[in-house]
Amino acid sequence: MRRMSEPVPDPREAAFLFDLIRTRYGNRLTAEQLEAVRRGVAAIVAQSAALRAVRLVNADEPVQRFTPLRADP
Amino acid sequence: MNPIFRSVRELSEAIRRREVSPVALAETFLDRLERLGPRYNAVVTITRERGLAAARRAEAEVAAGRWRGPLHGIPYGAKDLLAAVGAPTTWGAAPLRRQVFDFDATVIQRLDAAGAVLVAKLAMVELAGGMGYRQPNASFTGPGKSPWGDDAWSGGSSSGSGSAVSAGLVPFAIGSETWGSILSPAAYCGVTGLRPTYGRVSRHGAMALCWTLDKLGPLALTADDCGLVLEAIAGPDAHDATAADRTFTHDGGDVTTRRFRFGMLRDVAAGAEPAVAAAFARSLDTLAKLGTVEEVTLPELPYDAIARTILFAEAASAFEDMIESGELAELTAPEDHYTAYARDAILAKDYIKALRLRGVVMREADRVLARFDALVGPGRPATAPPLAAEFRSPHRPALDPMGAIGNMAGLPAVAVPNGFSESGLPTSLQFMGRAWADDTVLAAARAWQGITDWHLRHPAIG
Repeated sequence: MRRMSEPVPDPREAAFLFDLIRTRYGNRLTAEQLEAVRRGVAAIVAQSAALRAVRLVNADEPVQRFTPLRADP
Repeated sequence: MNPIFRSVRELSEAIRRREVSPVALAETFLDRLERLGPRYNAVVTITRERGLAAARRAEAEVAAGRWRGPLHGIPYGAKDLLAAVGAPTTWGAAPLRRQVFDFDATVIQRLDAAGAVLVAKLAMVELAGGMGYRQPNASFTGPGKSPWGDDAWSGGSSSGSGSAVSAGLVPFAIGSETWGSILSPAAYCGVTGLRPTYGRVSRHGAMALCWTLDKLGPLALTADDCGLVLEAIAGPDAHDATAADRTFTHDGGDVTTRRFRFGMLRDVAAGAEPAVAAAFARSLDTLAKLGTVEEVTLPELPYDAIARTILFAEAASAFEDMIESGELAELTAPEDHYTAYARDAILAKDYIKALRLRGVVMREADRVLARFDALVGPGRPATAPPLAAEFRSPHRPALDPMGAIGNMAGLPAVAVPNGFSESGLPTSLQFMGRAWADDTVLAAARAWQGITDWHLRHPAIG
């Protein structure tokens, strides 16, 4: 049975990920835009924490169609 | 016969009986698109030459007794994310305003084959809203306006599809939904919108925002019309592996004696705007005339977080070039210039976790829906917001469990008008069903429209 724990976003994770994004794109963003991106990263980290708080079993596969391809018959 | 605000079914009968000329019909709607389209920022390109050529072809065929079916000679508009020969396909984005394709999207091809007449490429939110817009001014054609208010947004991202049908500029339109982009404009513009089951309609030739969430579907004046259009555009397609090997036949038969089993998620209208909540409460009384309504619950799961993770991750990949190049800065909405950068913070394992959780949600939703013909709820939790208003917070997104579940599980839903606010803005009711139960949700919506007249009320256009 799946169980949920209380999602707890880690502020250090948000800080690390924001640093990565600032390194990649910071030169094209204003201080105000960067601050908005920082808040956006925090929201995504909270969103990810909500996913991680749900326990799945090993057999819970991703819903993703994959079919091996062979062009000739 | 005045063709404005007539259903596709009515227009079709008139064409078949040769009481209405397809060429005259096309001219009428082309004139309205030219004259009234700018009022609502509803149109990107009017396809006059292509439309008149198709109308003349339809007229000759009908005169020769070769009636192709209910869409023969019916004008329509397509959201400007569908490729069409002879017109730009801008995706609503300023940097792409000269983008052209040398082929027709499968949906356009199928509507051509059904004899429908493309008269306009309709306005949309830039990149179907995938870059995180939070206010209506997010298209190079300006904010879409609902015909029901001077300062009311049309909804998005199928903005022009909603407002053009509502204002009588086209009898039907094609929109797309990744999460809310058909149901929202249907609700804010007071028309009927169908989000088909994922895979029901080929997306070949449509802009990809999110490969596992994108759907194409019709907006029209009635649920019956939506069924007629779906029958024409549904089916397998060698160009789109996700298009299921299933055809769709619209059952437009009598539903007056049919009894429906409706489910309603607990607290589904909690947090809705008072006018929406009041209209939904009244709708429950009306629905009781059509069948039973039973409250249900779903397991506690982070529905919004799952859907949002899938959407953000896939959209970041779909528009990687635009994001990496900095071309985002040329978009219209200021927040679209930077919001997508934060999506680099989505880790691969979290995206995969969202896809695993999606399976859980699909099973749980189907388990609940198996007992019902449809779940009911407000089409949107609010009426159309003002044009200058932020309608969502970037950090505290409004929860939309039916939208999150329905879209991530690929379930069909139809939104129908169910009332008005005190300020005269439309409210909406949605019916959401099991996968591939498109005809069941349409039947429920047709039954609703058989005992209500909200869909027969139209804005004062002049």
